[in-house]
Amino acid sequence: MSPPERPATAAPPGWAERLFRSKVFVWILIVLPGLYPAWPILSQNPTVLADPLKYLLHHFGFVACLLLAAVLALTPLRVLFPRWRIALALNRHRRLVGVSAFFYALFHLGFQFLHEAGWPTFFTDIRKPFLFVGMLTFLILLVLAVTSFHFMVRWLGGRRWKNVHRLAYVAAGLAAYHQAAARKIFPVQVLWIFIPLALLELARIVRQRARPAGVPGAPASRG
Amino acid sequence: MRIRTPKSWEIRESDVTPEGVYRLRNRRDFLKTLGLGAAGALFLRSGARAATTGFPDTLNPDYSGAGLKVTPYPLVTSYNNFYEFGTDKGDPVVNANQGWKTEPWTVEIAGLANKPGTWDVEDLVRKMGGVEQRIYRHRCVEAWAMVIPWDGFALRKLVDFADPKPEAKYLKMTSFRDNVRDRDAGFDGPYIEGLRLDEARNELAFIATGIYGKAIPNQNGAPLRLVTPWKYGFKGIKSIVRMEFTADEPVNTWQQLARDEYGFYANVNPTVDHPRWSQASERVIGGGVFSGRQATLMFNGYEKQVAALYQGLNLRKYF
Repeated sequence: MSPPERPATAAPPGWAERLFRSKVFVWILIVLPGLYPAWPILSQNPTVLADPLKYLLHHFGFVACLLLAAVLALTPLRVLFPRWRIALALNRHRRLVGVSAFFYALFHLGFQFLHEAGWPTFFTDIRKPFLFVGMLTFLILLVLAVTSFHFMVRWLGGRRWKNVHRLAYVAAGLAAYHQAAARKIFPVQVLWIFIPLALLELARIVRQRARPAGVPGAPASRG
Repeated sequence: MRIRTPKSWEIRESDVTPEGVYRLRNRRDFLKTLGLGAAGALFLRSGARAATTGFPDTLNPDYSGAGLKVTPYPLVTSYNNFYEFGTDKGDPVVNANQGWKTEPWTVEIAGLANKPGTWDVEDLVRKMGGVEQRIYRHRCVEAWAMVIPWDGFALRKLVDFADPKPEAKYLKMTSFRDNVRDRDAGFDGPYIEGLRLDEARNELAFIATGIYGKAIPNQNGAPLRLVTPWKYGFKGIKSIVRMEFTADEPVNTWQQLARDEYGFYANVNPTVDHPRWSQASERVIGGGVFSGRQATLMFNGYEKQVAALYQGLNLRKYF
């Protein structure tokens, strides 16, 4: 279904490539940000202790955005740098990274419920664009996570599955808005996360226009 | 022989806890004492030290914090919004203490006043008759709340001292401007806030020069800041350099940044939501993970003192 991910004349993988191909290594990379809050909490950082829930809420939301942007960056990296073997190695983990973005978003939402003490004002709050968009983003990620199992891919069929999963781009746009609206003034970190992603996608579109990918008989070499 | 009558704000030398005694208390012990709330207030009363060097300091019995649980000092001084020093809550405690000098400091009284002039902060506090302590609720527009023991003087004293002209209707306050840090603030120019003159004369309006009986830390707005406990925290302009009496309503910084979200009045009001979140309830700072929320009170619980100011005003429109 997908084109071969390794060049035909493959040299033995170097240590970096082996590392990034390792599922265990990527798992560790993904879990560490979730454990990070233990440090300021256990070391009694007063800024964090002032409202630990708010800290956890923002931290998990931030990591969810980061992982969502990361998983979407993997495909353009592979398209733009087909001979960069780290990019190929990382592309093996697309599902893992995508599902982990969902789990961070799930924790984020859980902390929001705790922060709002069960969220008694849920039905009035959800009419506010900031919170509505956040919830919509979460629902998209939920659909993508549920359809990430192999049997779901088979059940939907490759083309339909791919169309459904294009919703991830919508989710990224909504997440960028939601993250920006979470603060009183525009937080610059939103730009750090989503501008590189937007540039990568743009470059990928330009590249694919010039050389349609996956078309049989298309020249294999880069221009 | 000269017979000296003690002023009402003076406390006897014997009432003051020797520095050696309270210095011995370690931070954890200090926190624990304060955590007891009312007992903490008692401790403060006996242990209070001058807020601005050399001034005696007594708790105002009208604002003794009865029934309120005082927020621990380390939290009050490390969870701050002071955008000139960075937009994260933990930024000001670091960035405001890297060589930023708040002493000596002068305040200019200007505009439609009969007694304009520039005053050294120490002189000004002396002219206001020294400092007193008041324990006030503090409610941020971001829906979190603290209880803070402030030291300072009633803003009304300063207004009377400046002697505004009849055409003066507003008091516009301007904060310092530190060019080095401006790039982090997210807004241009100095922070600006304002009050209607009758608001400034309300008994609650307060100029703080200290917290917890100590000089106010830089991140909390050294050396003097506004405290208006019935309004959202952003009204409490920090590190004031200029007080100008005006005929027109000043445009405050947050109104300039987002007119649809922040107004001139900024009165705490559980029935008027922020466009992005509910104002019906608030989280208590220092409450921990499972503390839940408490209901937000109209005018932050100071309805008795300030409701008369806003009779006939549409609070939904003038938020």
